[in-house]
Amino acid sequence: MSDRWQYLIVLGLCLAITVPLEFLGAGVYRQPWRLVRAVLPVALVFLAWDAVAIAAGVWTYNGDYITGIRLPFRLPLEEALFFVVIPVCALLTYNAVNAILDRRKRR
Amino acid sequence: MSGVGYTVPAIVAVLAVCALELTLLHTGLFRRPAYWLSMVIVLGFQVPVDGWLTKRSAPVVIYNEGQTSGVRFPFDIPIEDFLFGFALVTAVLLLWEQQRG
Repeated sequence: MSDRWQYLIVLGLCLAITVPLEFLGAGVYRQPWRLVRAVLPVALVFLAWDAVAIAAGVWTYNGDYITGIRLPFRLPLEEALFFVVIPVCALLTYNAVNAILDRRKRR
Repeated sequence: MSGVGYTVPAIVAVLAVCALELTLLHTGLFRRPAYWLSMVIVLGFQVPVDGWLTKRSAPVVIYNEGQTSGVRFPFDIPIEDFLFGFALVTAVLLLWEQQRG
């Protein structure tokens, strides 16, 4: 398989290993509207930062490890997904930690 | 080595997120042990994931070293990435908490 899938595969693995956390507590995917309202505004700000950084040459992406699909402002598709995947993983972690701490408190 | 392009915005992002909570949102997130415990866990996973993306032997993301502090630890992770990650994750958790029913 081509190395160009690397960045996407890393993001896919992050999503895959955090799936079980959904089943602790009230979940994240089960509150889709709350999820969108937490992730979307932050993602837009960070995407703007990213676009400026790319335009200013602060960082670039290695064409060997990305699909090459570019969004407006030369943003790689993977980079946009990053700002959804990582926040979702963090929310799932926070959801699970809260559930575990609450359960211990009730005992 | 100016750090203007990445170091400065990364510090500003952390300060901005903290200011957002302390002046506008008041969710109490920073007083929740679950938040700090989650951040430690997220940090633990950031190191292998970010380490993979930034490794100098086969980088996915390539940094202009003139725009960073030049400090890369652990592995080849620019330390600015930890500020970036803190700001990103904390901002999302703040907006999540703000909607607590």
